[in-house]
Amino acid sequence: MNRSWTYILAALGIAVLIGIGLFSSRFILYLTMRVMILSIFAMGYNILFGRTGLLSFGHAAFYATGAYGVALCTIHVHSHPVLAVVAGVIAAAVMALIIGFFCVRHTEIYFAMLTLAFGMMVFSLMWNVRGITGGDDGLSGIIRAPISLGLISIPIMKDSQYYFFVLMFFVVSVLLIHRIGRSPFGLVLASIRENHVRTEFAGLPVKRYRLAAFVISGAFAGLAGGLAVFLESNVTPFAAHWSRSADPVLVSLMGGLQTFSGPLVGSVLFVVLRELIERFTHNWMLWFGLILLAIIMGFRGGIVGSTAALLKRSSEQG
Amino acid sequence: MTAPLLEVRDLSKAFGNVVTANNLNLSLTAGVLTSIIGPNGAGKSTLINILTGFIPPDSGRIIFQSQDITYEPIYRRVRLGLCRSFQVVNVFTGLTLFENISIPILAAHRRANGLFSTVSGEKAVREEAHRILQRIGLQEQGDLPASALSHGDQRVLEVGIALAARPKLLFLDEPTAGMNPVERIKILENIRQLSQEGEVTFVIVEHDMDIVFSLSERVIVLHRGDVIGDGPPEQIKADPHVREVYLGEEVVA
Repeated sequence: MNRSWTYILAALGIAVLIGIGLFSSRFILYLTMRVMILSIFAMGYNILFGRTGLLSFGHAAFYATGAYGVALCTIHVHSHPVLAVVAGVIAAAVMALIIGFFCVRHTEIYFAMLTLAFGMMVFSLMWNVRGITGGDDGLSGIIRAPISLGLISIPIMKDSQYYFFVLMFFVVSVLLIHRIGRSPFGLVLASIRENHVRTEFAGLPVKRYRLAAFVISGAFAGLAGGLAVFLESNVTPFAAHWSRSADPVLVSLMGGLQTFSGPLVGSVLFVVLRELIERFTHNWMLWFGLILLAIIMGFRGGIVGSTAALLKRSSEQG
Repeated sequence: MTAPLLEVRDLSKAFGNVVTANNLNLSLTAGVLTSIIGPNGAGKSTLINILTGFIPPDSGRIIFQSQDITYEPIYRRVRLGLCRSFQVVNVFTGLTLFENISIPILAAHRRANGLFSTVSGEKAVREEAHRILQRIGLQEQGDLPASALSHGDQRVLEVGIALAARPKLLFLDEPTAGMNPVERIKILENIRQLSQEGEVTFVIVEHDMDIVFSLSERVIVLHRGDVIGDGPPEQIKADPHVREVYLGEEVVA
Protein backbone atom coordinates (compact mmCIF):
# COMPACT_ATOMS: atom_id res chain seq x y z
CA MET A 1 0.00 0.00 0.00
CA ASN A 2 1.02 3.58 -0.61
CA ARG A 3 2.99 5.07 2.22
CA SER A 4 0.97 8.24 2.71
CA TRP A 5 -2.18 6.12 2.79
CA THR A 6 -0.71 4.16 5.68
CA TYR A 7 -0.14 7.37 7.62
CA ILE A 8 -3.65 8.64 6.88
CA LEU A 9 -5.18 5.33 7.97
CA ALA A 10 -3.11 5.28 11.15
CA ALA A 11 -4.04 8.87 12.03
CA LEU A 12 -7.68 8.09 11.33
CA GLY A 13 -7.51 5.01 13.53
CA ILE A 14 -6.03 6.94 16.45
CA ALA A 15 -8.60 9.71 16.03
CA VAL A 16 -11.43 7.17 16.15
CA LEU A 17 -9.92 5.52 19.24
CA ILE A 18 -9.59 8.88 21.01
CA GLY A 19 -13.18 9.68 20.00
CA ILE A 20 -14.39 6.41 21.50
CA GLY A 21 -12.48 7.24 24.68
CA LEU A 22 -14.12 10.66 24.99
CA PHE A 23 -17.69 10.01 23.96
CA SER A 24 -18.59 6.34 24.32
CA SER A 25 -20.61 4.42 26.82
CA ARG A 26 -18.87 2.26 29.41
CA PHE A 27 -19.74 -0.89 27.53
CA ILE A 28 -18.11 0.27 24.30
CA LEU A 29 -15.12 1.50 26.28
CA TYR A 30 -14.75 -1.91 27.87
CA LEU A 31 -15.04 -3.73 24.54
CA THR A 32 -12.54 -1.42 22.87
CA MET A 33 -10.06 -1.96 25.67
CA ARG A 34 -10.51 -5.71 25.27
CA VAL A 35 -9.82 -5.33 21.55
CA MET A 36 -6.68 -3.28 22.16
CA ILE A 37 -5.35 -5.70 24.77
CA LEU A 38 -6.00 -8.70 22.54
CA SER A 39 -4.33 -6.82 19.67
CA ILE A 40 -1.16 -6.29 21.70
CA PHE A 41 -1.20 -9.99 22.56
CA ALA A 42 -1.79 -11.10 18.97
CA MET A 43 0.54 -8.65 17.22
CA GLY A 44 3.38 -9.57 19.56
CA TYR A 45 2.55 -13.22 19.04
CA ASN A 46 2.62 -12.78 15.30
CA ILE A 47 6.29 -11.77 15.46
CA LEU A 48 6.85 -15.40 16.37
CA PHE A 49 4.10 -17.06 14.32
CA GLY A 50 3.72 -15.05 11.13
CA ARG A 51 7.23 -13.66 10.97
CA THR A 52 9.51 -16.40 12.26
CA GLY A 53 7.20 -19.27 11.35
CA LEU A 54 7.07 -20.81 14.82
CA LEU A 55 3.68 -21.93 16.09
CA SER A 56 3.48 -21.64 19.88
CA PHE A 57 0.64 -23.11 21.90
CA GLY A 58 1.96 -21.78 25.18
CA HIS A 59 1.78 -18.01 25.09
CA ALA A 60 -0.92 -17.88 27.73
CA ALA A 61 1.91 -18.68 30.15
CA PHE A 62 3.50 -15.32 29.42
CA TYR A 63 0.17 -13.53 29.35
CA ALA A 64 -0.52 -14.93 32.83
CA THR A 65 3.00 -14.22 34.07
CA GLY A 66 2.54 -10.60 33.07
CA ALA A 67 -0.86 -10.56 34.76
CA TYR A 68 0.39 -12.06 38.02
CA GLY A 69 3.46 -9.83 37.85
CA VAL A 70 1.27 -6.74 37.75
CA ALA A 71 -1.05 -8.04 40.47
CA LEU A 72 1.75 -9.07 42.83
CA CYS A 73 3.69 -5.86 42.29
CA THR A 74 0.58 -3.78 42.99
CA ILE A 75 -0.29 -5.74 46.14
CA HIS A 76 3.15 -6.29 47.65
CA VAL A 77 5.61 -3.77 46.22
CA HIS A 78 4.15 -0.51 45.03
CA SER A 79 0.82 0.50 43.59
CA HIS A 80 2.24 2.71 40.84
CA PRO A 81 0.54 1.32 37.71
CA VAL A 82 3.41 2.04 35.32
CA LEU A 83 5.89 0.36 37.65
CA ALA A 84 3.56 -2.63 37.92
CA VAL A 85 3.21 -2.94 34.15
CA VAL A 86 6.97 -2.73 33.69
CA ALA A 87 7.43 -5.42 36.35
CA GLY A 88 4.84 -7.60 34.61
CA VAL A 89 6.51 -7.24 31.22
CA ILE A 90 9.94 -8.05 32.67
CA ALA A 91 8.55 -11.10 34.50
CA ALA A 92 6.96 -12.34 31.28
CA ALA A 93 10.16 -11.77 29.30
CA VAL A 94 12.23 -13.68 31.85
CA MET A 95 9.72 -16.53 31.80
CA ALA A 96 9.87 -16.53 27.98
CA LEU A 97 13.65 -16.58 28.10
CA ILE A 98 13.68 -19.65 30.34
CA ILE A 99 10.98 -21.58 28.46
CA GLY A 100 12.21 -20.39 25.07
CA PHE A 101 15.73 -21.59 25.79
CA PHE A 102 14.45 -25.17 25.67
CA CYS A 103 11.83 -24.73 22.98
CA VAL A 104 13.84 -23.03 20.21
CA ARG A 105 16.08 -26.07 19.93
CA HIS A 106 13.22 -27.66 18.03
CA THR A 107 10.94 -26.62 15.22
CA GLU A 108 7.49 -27.26 13.85
CA ILE A 109 5.37 -29.80 15.70
CA TYR A 110 8.04 -30.49 18.34
CA PHE A 111 8.33 -26.81 19.09
CA ALA A 112 4.54 -26.47 19.30
CA MET A 113 4.22 -29.47 21.62
CA LEU A 114 7.01 -28.22 23.89
CA THR A 115 5.37 -24.82 24.25
CA LEU A 116 2.07 -26.55 25.01
CA ALA A 117 3.74 -28.70 27.69
CA PHE A 118 5.46 -25.73 29.31
CA GLY A 119 2.22 -23.75 29.14
CA MET A 120 0.37 -26.50 31.01
CA MET A 121 3.12 -26.62 33.61
CA VAL A 122 2.86 -22.89 34.23
CA PHE A 123 -0.92 -23.22 34.52
CA SER A 124 -0.74 -25.93 37.15
CA LEU A 125 2.05 -24.09 38.97
CA MET A 126 -0.18 -21.04 39.26
CA TRP A 127 -3.06 -23.23 40.35
CA ASN A 128 -1.02 -24.92 43.07
CA VAL A 129 1.20 -22.23 44.57
CA ARG A 130 -1.66 -20.96 46.67
CA GLY A 131 0.50 -18.82 48.94
CA ILE A 132 1.60 -16.57 46.09
CA THR A 133 -1.04 -16.83 43.39
CA GLY A 134 -4.10 -17.43 45.53
CA GLY A 135 -4.69 -20.81 43.89
CA ASP A 136 -7.94 -21.22 41.98
CA ASP A 137 -9.35 -18.09 43.61
CA GLY A 138 -6.62 -16.04 42.00
CA LEU A 139 -5.87 -12.52 43.15
CA SER A 140 -8.65 -9.97 43.25
CA GLY A 141 -9.29 -6.40 44.23
CA ILE A 142 -6.37 -5.02 42.31
CA ILE A 143 -6.85 -1.28 42.36
CA ARG A 144 -5.89 1.25 39.75
CA ALA A 145 -3.93 3.78 41.76
CA PRO A 146 -3.28 7.19 40.21
CA ILE A 147 -0.15 7.59 38.10
CA SER A 148 1.97 9.93 40.15
CA LEU A 149 4.47 11.95 38.18
CA GLY A 150 6.19 13.97 40.87
CA LEU A 151 3.92 16.98 41.39
CA ILE A 152 0.88 15.91 39.47
CA SER A 153 -0.93 12.61 39.53
CA ILE A 154 -3.26 11.30 36.87
CA PRO A 155 -6.20 9.22 38.06
CA ILE A 156 -7.05 6.09 36.06
CA MET A 157 -9.68 4.75 38.44
CA LYS A 158 -12.62 5.24 36.10
CA ASP A 159 -12.86 3.22 32.92
CA SER A 160 -12.93 6.41 30.85
CA GLN A 161 -9.55 7.32 32.39
CA TYR A 162 -7.99 3.88 32.27
CA TYR A 163 -8.97 3.72 28.61
CA PHE A 164 -6.28 6.24 27.73
CA PHE A 165 -3.70 4.30 29.73
CA VAL A 166 -4.45 1.26 27.58
CA LEU A 167 -4.57 3.37 24.42
CA MET A 168 -1.09 4.73 25.12
CA PHE A 169 0.41 1.24 25.51
CA PHE A 170 -1.51 0.08 22.46
CA VAL A 171 -0.15 2.86 20.24
CA VAL A 172 3.40 2.39 21.52
CA SER A 173 3.17 -1.38 20.94
CA VAL A 174 1.85 -0.96 17.41
CA LEU A 175 4.65 1.49 16.58
CA LEU A 176 7.31 -0.79 18.05
CA ILE A 177 6.02 -3.88 16.27
CA HIS A 178 5.72 -1.97 13.01
CA ARG A 179 9.29 -0.81 13.36
CA ILE A 180 10.55 -4.31 14.15
CA GLY A 181 8.84 -5.51 10.97
CA ARG A 182 10.98 -3.19 8.84
CA SER A 183 14.20 -3.70 10.74
CA PRO A 184 17.16 -5.91 9.82
CA PHE A 185 16.17 -8.09 12.77
CA GLY A 186 12.69 -8.48 11.30
CA LEU A 187 14.14 -9.44 7.93
CA VAL A 188 16.31 -12.09 9.58
CA LEU A 189 13.21 -13.53 11.27
CA ALA A 190 11.46 -13.72 7.89
CA SER A 191 14.49 -15.43 6.39
CA ILE A 192 14.37 -18.01 9.18
CA ARG A 193 10.73 -18.68 8.29
CA GLU A 194 11.58 -19.04 4.62
CA ASN A 195 14.71 -21.15 5.01
CA HIS A 196 16.43 -21.61 8.32
CA VAL A 197 19.30 -23.67 6.92
CA ARG A 198 20.21 -20.95 4.47
CA THR A 199 19.94 -18.31 7.21
CA GLU A 200 22.55 -20.19 9.20
CA PHE A 201 24.72 -20.28 6.07
CA ALA A 202 24.28 -16.55 5.71
CA GLY A 203 26.28 -16.28 8.92
CA LEU A 204 23.45 -15.89 11.43
CA PRO A 205 22.90 -17.89 14.63
CA VAL A 206 19.33 -19.04 13.96
CA LYS A 207 18.55 -20.35 17.45
CA ARG A 208 19.52 -17.08 19.06
CA TYR A 209 17.22 -15.16 16.72
CA ARG A 210 14.42 -17.60 17.37
CA LEU A 211 14.92 -17.11 21.10
CA ALA A 212 14.92 -13.32 20.70
CA ALA A 213 11.65 -13.49 18.76
CA PHE A 214 10.23 -15.76 21.45
CA VAL A 215 11.18 -13.37 24.25
CA ILE A 216 9.87 -10.30 22.42
CA SER A 217 6.53 -11.96 21.72
CA GLY A 218 6.44 -13.17 25.34
CA ALA A 219 7.03 -9.63 26.59
CA PHE A 220 4.10 -8.30 24.54
CA ALA A 221 1.95 -11.15 25.86
CA GLY A 222 2.96 -10.07 29.36
CA LEU A 223 2.00 -6.48 28.61
CA ALA A 224 -1.41 -7.63 27.40
CA GLY A 225 -1.91 -9.77 30.51
CA GLY A 226 -0.86 -6.91 32.78
CA LEU A 227 -3.25 -4.44 31.18
CA ALA A 228 -6.05 -7.01 31.42
CA VAL A 229 -5.53 -7.36 35.18
CA PHE A 230 -6.13 -3.67 35.73
CA LEU A 231 -9.16 -3.84 33.46
CA GLU A 232 -10.80 -6.77 35.25
CA SER A 233 -9.23 -5.95 38.66
CA ASN A 234 -8.53 -9.64 39.21
CA VAL A 235 -6.55 -12.55 37.81
CA THR A 236 -7.05 -16.32 38.04
CA PRO A 237 -4.91 -19.22 36.82
CA PHE A 238 -7.24 -19.49 33.83
CA ALA A 239 -5.25 -16.63 32.34
CA ALA A 240 -2.61 -19.32 31.74
CA HIS A 241 -5.02 -21.96 30.45
CA TRP A 242 -4.12 -23.47 27.10
CA SER A 243 -7.40 -22.30 25.62
CA ARG A 244 -6.10 -18.74 26.14
CA SER A 245 -3.02 -19.70 24.13
CA ALA A 246 -5.31 -20.39 21.21
CA ASP A 247 -6.62 -16.81 21.15
CA PRO A 248 -3.64 -15.18 19.40
CA VAL A 249 -3.38 -18.14 16.99
CA LEU A 250 -7.02 -17.78 15.93
CA VAL A 251 -6.82 -13.99 15.79
CA SER A 252 -3.71 -14.09 13.61
CA LEU A 253 -5.23 -16.67 11.29
CA MET A 254 -8.47 -14.72 10.93
CA GLY A 255 -6.79 -11.41 10.22
CA GLY A 256 -3.91 -12.67 8.12
CA LEU A 257 -0.62 -14.19 9.17
CA GLN A 258 1.70 -12.46 6.76
CA THR A 259 0.25 -9.00 7.26
CA PHE A 260 1.02 -6.32 9.77
CA SER A 261 -2.55 -5.28 10.49
CA GLY A 262 -3.97 -8.81 10.30
CA PRO A 263 -3.86 -9.49 14.05
CA LEU A 264 -5.43 -6.06 14.66
CA VAL A 265 -8.39 -6.75 12.40
CA GLY A 266 -8.59 -10.28 13.77
CA SER A 267 -8.82 -8.95 17.32
CA VAL A 268 -11.72 -6.64 16.47
CA LEU A 269 -13.55 -9.52 14.82
CA PHE A 270 -12.81 -11.91 17.66
CA VAL A 271 -14.07 -9.65 20.44
CA VAL A 272 -17.05 -8.23 18.58
CA LEU A 273 -18.21 -11.56 17.15
CA ARG A 274 -17.96 -13.23 20.52
CA GLU A 275 -19.92 -10.42 22.14
CA LEU A 276 -22.65 -10.58 19.50
CA ILE A 277 -22.96 -14.35 19.48
CA GLU A 278 -23.07 -14.60 23.25
CA ARG A 279 -26.21 -12.49 23.26
CA PHE A 280 -28.11 -15.15 21.38
CA THR A 281 -26.67 -18.40 22.60
CA HIS A 282 -24.51 -20.00 25.25
CA ASN A 283 -22.88 -22.18 22.62
CA TRP A 284 -20.89 -19.33 21.22
CA MET A 285 -17.99 -21.65 20.42
CA LEU A 286 -20.09 -23.63 17.95
CA TRP A 287 -21.05 -20.55 15.98
CA PHE A 288 -17.65 -19.02 16.31
CA GLY A 289 -16.13 -22.24 15.01
CA LEU A 290 -18.37 -22.11 11.96
CA ILE A 291 -17.43 -18.51 11.23
CA LEU A 292 -13.77 -19.33 11.69
CA LEU A 293 -14.15 -22.22 9.26
CA ALA A 294 -15.70 -19.91 6.69
CA ILE A 295 -12.94 -17.31 7.10
CA ILE A 296 -10.09 -19.79 6.89
CA MET A 297 -11.53 -21.65 3.91
CA GLY A 298 -12.95 -18.62 2.11
CA PHE A 299 -10.31 -15.99 2.72
CA ARG A 300 -6.85 -17.27 1.94
CA GLY A 301 -4.29 -15.27 3.88
CA GLY A 302 -6.91 -14.04 6.33
CA ILE A 303 -9.27 -11.08 5.98
CA VAL A 304 -6.47 -8.55 5.47
CA GLY A 305 -4.32 -10.76 3.27
CA SER A 306 -7.12 -11.71 0.90
CA THR A 307 -8.49 -8.16 0.73
CA ALA A 308 -5.06 -6.81 -0.14
CA ALA A 309 -4.68 -9.45 -2.86
CA LEU A 310 -8.13 -8.55 -4.22
CA LEU A 311 -7.34 -4.82 -4.28
CA LYS A 312 -4.06 -5.50 -6.02
CA ARG A 313 -5.71 -7.62 -8.67
CA SER A 314 -8.45 -5.10 -9.36
CA SER A 315 -5.97 -2.22 -9.58
CA GLU A 316 -3.88 -4.22 -12.03
CA GLN A 317 -6.91 -4.85 -14.20
CA GLY A 318 -8.27 -1.34 -13.98
CA MET B 1 55.36 -20.77 1.27
CA THR B 2 52.33 -19.23 2.95
CA ALA B 3 50.09 -21.17 5.30
CA PRO B 4 47.24 -22.96 3.51
CA LEU B 5 43.80 -21.38 3.58
CA LEU B 6 42.17 -24.60 4.68
CA GLU B 7 43.78 -27.72 5.99
CA VAL B 8 42.09 -31.05 6.55
CA ARG B 9 43.86 -33.56 8.76
CA ASP B 10 42.94 -37.25 9.00
CA LEU B 11 39.27 -36.58 8.37
CA SER B 12 36.99 -39.61 8.59
CA LYS B 13 33.29 -40.09 8.25
CA ALA B 14 31.24 -43.22 7.77
CA PHE B 15 27.50 -43.75 7.53
CA GLY B 16 27.16 -47.29 8.80
CA ASN B 17 29.32 -49.35 6.45
CA VAL B 18 29.56 -46.66 3.84
CA VAL B 19 32.83 -44.81 4.20
CA THR B 20 32.55 -41.31 2.76
CA ALA B 21 35.81 -39.93 4.08
CA ASN B 22 38.71 -42.20 4.84
CA ASN B 23 41.53 -40.44 6.69
CA LEU B 24 41.47 -37.57 4.24
CA ASN B 25 44.34 -35.13 4.21
CA LEU B 26 43.98 -32.07 2.04
CA SER B 27 45.16 -28.53 1.98
CA LEU B 28 43.73 -25.72 -0.10
CA THR B 29 45.80 -22.73 -1.12
CA ALA B 30 44.37 -19.25 -1.35
CA GLY B 31 43.69 -18.13 -4.90
CA VAL B 32 43.81 -21.56 -6.51
CA LEU B 33 40.55 -22.43 -8.20
CA THR B 34 40.03 -26.07 -7.27
CA SER B 35 37.53 -28.63 -8.50
CA ILE B 36 36.51 -31.78 -6.71
CA ILE B 37 35.35 -34.58 -8.97
CA GLY B 38 34.52 -38.21 -8.53
CA PRO B 39 31.79 -40.73 -9.33
CA ASN B 40 28.43 -40.57 -7.56
CA GLY B 41 28.81 -41.54 -3.93
CA ALA B 42 32.50 -40.66 -3.87
CA GLY B 43 31.96 -38.40 -0.88
CA LYS B 44 32.15 -34.99 -2.58
CA SER B 45 29.02 -33.55 -1.07
CA THR B 46 29.73 -35.15 2.29
CA LEU B 47 33.15 -33.54 2.30
CA ILE B 48 31.61 -30.11 1.69
CA ASN B 49 28.99 -30.80 4.33
CA ILE B 50 31.67 -31.65 6.88
CA LEU B 51 33.93 -28.74 6.01
CA THR B 52 31.09 -26.20 6.22
CA GLY B 53 29.74 -27.64 9.45
CA PHE B 54 26.53 -29.20 8.17
CA ILE B 55 27.48 -32.63 9.54
CA PRO B 56 30.16 -33.42 12.13
CA PRO B 57 33.12 -35.65 11.21
CA ASP B 58 33.80 -38.91 13.07
CA SER B 59 37.41 -37.90 13.60
CA GLY B 60 40.01 -35.53 12.27
CA ARG B 61 40.62 -31.80 12.28
CA ILE B 62 39.68 -28.89 10.06
CA ILE B 63 41.92 -25.84 10.20
CA PHE B 64 40.84 -22.64 8.48
CA GLN B 65 43.37 -19.81 8.38
CA SER B 66 45.37 -21.40 11.21
CA GLN B 67 42.24 -21.69 13.35
CA ASP B 68 40.74 -25.01 14.39
CA ILE B 69 37.11 -24.91 13.27
CA THR B 70 36.27 -28.61 13.56
CA TYR B 71 33.54 -27.97 16.12
CA GLU B 72 32.58 -24.40 15.28
CA PRO B 73 28.90 -23.85 14.45
CA ILE B 74 27.94 -23.07 10.87
CA TYR B 75 27.28 -19.37 11.31
CA ARG B 76 30.68 -18.79 12.87
CA ARG B 77 32.45 -20.55 10.00
CA VAL B 78 30.53 -18.31 7.61
CA ARG B 79 31.62 -15.24 9.55
CA LEU B 80 35.22 -16.41 9.36
CA GLY B 81 34.84 -16.57 5.61
CA LEU B 82 33.95 -20.16 4.83
CA CYS B 83 30.74 -20.38 2.83
CA ARG B 84 28.91 -22.59 0.38
CA SER B 85 26.12 -22.79 -2.14
CA PHE B 86 23.80 -25.73 -2.50
CA GLN B 87 23.18 -28.38 -5.09
CA VAL B 88 19.43 -27.75 -5.01
CA VAL B 89 17.78 -24.36 -5.02
CA ASN B 90 18.03 -23.11 -1.46
CA VAL B 91 16.96 -19.48 -1.48
CA PHE B 92 14.48 -17.44 0.57
CA THR B 93 11.54 -18.13 -1.74
CA GLY B 94 9.03 -15.68 -0.30
CA LEU B 95 11.42 -12.74 -0.02
CA THR B 96 12.49 -10.34 -2.76
CA LEU B 97 15.83 -10.79 -4.51
CA PHE B 98 17.08 -7.67 -2.84
CA GLU B 99 16.19 -9.09 0.58
CA ASN B 100 17.70 -12.45 -0.34
CA ILE B 101 21.03 -10.80 -1.03
CA SER B 102 20.77 -8.36 1.88
CA ILE B 103 20.55 -11.02 4.58
CA PRO B 104 24.14 -12.31 4.34
CA ILE B 105 25.37 -8.75 3.80
CA LEU B 106 23.65 -7.60 7.00
CA ALA B 107 25.32 -10.50 8.77
CA ALA B 108 28.73 -9.66 7.32
CA HIS B 109 28.34 -6.01 8.33
CA ARG B 110 27.17 -7.05 11.80
CA ARG B 111 24.03 -5.03 11.21
CA ALA B 112 21.52 -7.85 11.54
CA ASN B 113 20.55 -7.18 15.16
CA GLY B 114 18.96 -3.76 14.67
CA LEU B 115 15.47 -3.87 16.12
CA PHE B 116 14.43 -0.29 15.47
CA SER B 117 16.61 0.71 12.54
CA THR B 118 15.20 0.05 9.08
CA VAL B 119 16.63 -2.14 6.36
CA SER B 120 16.06 0.67 3.86
CA GLY B 121 18.16 2.94 6.07
CA GLU B 122 21.23 0.72 5.81
CA LYS B 123 22.89 2.55 2.95
CA ALA B 124 26.11 0.53 2.76
CA VAL B 125 24.16 -2.73 2.78
CA ARG B 126 21.81 -1.51 0.07
CA GLU B 127 24.65 -0.43 -2.18
CA GLU B 128 26.45 -3.73 -1.77
CA ALA B 129 23.26 -5.68 -2.48
CA HIS B 130 22.72 -3.72 -5.68
CA ARG B 131 26.32 -4.34 -6.70
CA ILE B 132 25.93 -8.08 -6.27
CA LEU B 133 22.59 -8.15 -8.07
CA GLN B 134 24.23 -6.33 -10.94
CA ARG B 135 27.16 -8.70 -10.89
CA ILE B 136 24.91 -11.74 -11.26
CA GLY B 137 22.72 -9.92 -13.77
CA LEU B 138 19.50 -9.83 -11.78
CA GLN B 139 19.39 -6.12 -10.91
CA GLU B 140 16.19 -5.60 -12.90
CA GLN B 141 14.34 -8.18 -10.81
CA GLY B 142 15.48 -6.84 -7.41
CA ASP B 143 11.96 -6.21 -6.12
CA LEU B 144 10.46 -9.49 -7.32
CA PRO B 145 10.06 -12.40 -4.92
CA ALA B 146 12.54 -15.20 -5.54
CA SER B 147 9.62 -17.52 -6.27
CA ALA B 148 8.90 -15.51 -9.44
CA LEU B 149 12.26 -16.43 -10.99
CA SER B 150 12.92 -19.26 -13.42
CA HIS B 151 14.71 -22.27 -12.04
CA GLY B 152 17.94 -21.22 -13.69
CA ASP B 153 17.76 -17.70 -12.29
CA GLN B 154 17.07 -19.12 -8.85
CA ARG B 155 20.31 -21.07 -9.24
CA VAL B 156 22.08 -17.84 -10.15
CA LEU B 157 20.58 -16.18 -7.06
CA GLU B 158 21.78 -19.16 -5.04
CA VAL B 159 25.36 -18.38 -6.00
CA GLY B 160 24.70 -14.68 -5.40
CA ILE B 161 23.62 -15.29 -1.81
CA ALA B 162 26.77 -17.29 -1.20
CA LEU B 163 28.90 -14.48 -2.66
CA ALA B 164 27.10 -11.86 -0.57
CA ALA B 165 28.40 -13.44 2.64
CA ARG B 166 31.87 -12.13 1.62
CA PRO B 167 33.54 -15.54 1.70
CA LYS B 168 37.27 -16.07 1.50
CA LEU B 169 36.71 -19.70 0.63
CA LEU B 170 33.55 -20.62 -1.22
CA PHE B 171 32.35 -24.13 -1.97
CA LEU B 172 30.01 -24.33 -4.93
CA ASP B 173 28.08 -27.59 -5.09
CA GLU B 174 27.30 -28.14 -8.78
CA PRO B 175 26.84 -24.43 -9.42
CA THR B 176 25.62 -24.76 -12.99
CA ALA B 177 23.20 -27.66 -12.58
CA GLY B 178 19.83 -26.72 -14.05
CA MET B 179 21.06 -23.57 -15.77
CA ASN B 180 20.62 -22.82 -19.44
CA PRO B 181 23.77 -22.08 -21.47
CA VAL B 182 23.40 -18.29 -21.09
CA GLU B 183 23.09 -18.46 -17.32
CA ARG B 184 25.90 -20.97 -17.21
CA ILE B 185 28.29 -18.70 -19.05
CA LYS B 186 27.27 -15.77 -16.84
CA ILE B 187 28.03 -17.70 -13.66
CA LEU B 188 31.27 -19.23 -14.94
CA GLU B 189 32.46 -15.81 -16.11
CA ASN B 190 31.70 -14.46 -12.64
CA ILE B 191 33.59 -17.26 -10.96
CA ARG B 192 36.59 -16.82 -13.24
CA GLN B 193 36.66 -13.07 -12.75
CA LEU B 194 36.20 -13.17 -8.96
CA SER B 195 38.87 -15.81 -8.72
CA GLN B 196 41.30 -13.67 -10.70
CA GLU B 197 40.57 -10.67 -8.49
CA GLY B 198 41.83 -12.90 -5.73
CA GLU B 199 39.34 -12.11 -2.97
CA VAL B 200 37.46 -15.39 -3.15
CA THR B 201 38.99 -18.83 -3.45
CA PHE B 202 36.57 -21.22 -5.15
CA VAL B 203 36.20 -24.92 -4.68
CA ILE B 204 33.76 -26.41 -7.13
CA VAL B 205 32.03 -29.76 -7.22
CA GLU B 206 31.02 -30.38 -10.80
CA HIS B 207 30.03 -33.20 -13.11
CA ASP B 208 30.60 -31.36 -16.35
CA MET B 209 34.20 -32.20 -17.26
CA ASP B 210 34.42 -29.39 -19.81
CA ILE B 211 33.81 -26.89 -17.04
CA VAL B 212 36.18 -28.65 -14.67
CA PHE B 213 39.10 -28.79 -17.05
CA SER B 214 38.65 -25.35 -18.57
CA LEU B 215 38.11 -23.52 -15.29
CA SER B 216 40.21 -25.11 -12.59
CA GLU B 217 43.85 -24.81 -11.73
CA ARG B 218 43.77 -27.88 -9.56
CA VAL B 219 41.61 -30.99 -9.62
CA ILE B 220 41.05 -33.36 -6.74
CA VAL B 221 39.57 -36.77 -7.51
CA LEU B 222 37.66 -38.57 -4.78
CA HIS B 223 36.69 -42.21 -4.86
CA ARG B 224 34.98 -43.98 -1.94
CA GLY B 225 36.31 -41.49 0.55
CA ASP B 226 39.89 -41.54 -0.71
CA VAL B 227 41.83 -39.00 -2.73
CA ILE B 228 42.99 -40.92 -5.79
CA GLY B 229 44.25 -37.99 -7.80
CA ASP B 230 45.34 -34.45 -7.06
CA GLY B 231 47.05 -32.04 -9.40
CA PRO B 232 46.71 -29.68 -12.35
CA PRO B 233 44.01 -30.62 -14.90
CA GLU B 234 46.49 -31.96 -17.51
CA GLN B 235 48.05 -34.30 -15.01
CA ILE B 236 44.65 -35.58 -13.87
CA LYS B 237 43.54 -36.13 -17.45
CA ALA B 238 46.64 -38.21 -18.06
CA ASP B 239 46.52 -40.16 -14.79
CA PRO B 240 45.83 -43.82 -15.68
CA HIS B 241 44.30 -44.66 -12.29
CA VAL B 242 41.87 -41.77 -12.43
CA ARG B 243 40.89 -42.67 -15.98
CA GLU B 244 40.27 -46.21 -14.91
CA VAL B 245 37.85 -45.46 -12.05
CA TYR B 246 36.18 -42.36 -13.26
CA LEU B 247 37.01 -40.42 -16.36
CA GLY B 248 37.33 -43.37 -18.68
CA GLU B 249 35.66 -42.98 -21.98
CA GLU B 250 34.37 -39.48 -21.25
CA VAL B 251 37.79 -37.89 -21.76
CA VAL B 252 38.99 -40.27 -24.40
CA ALA B 253 35.97 -39.47 -26.47
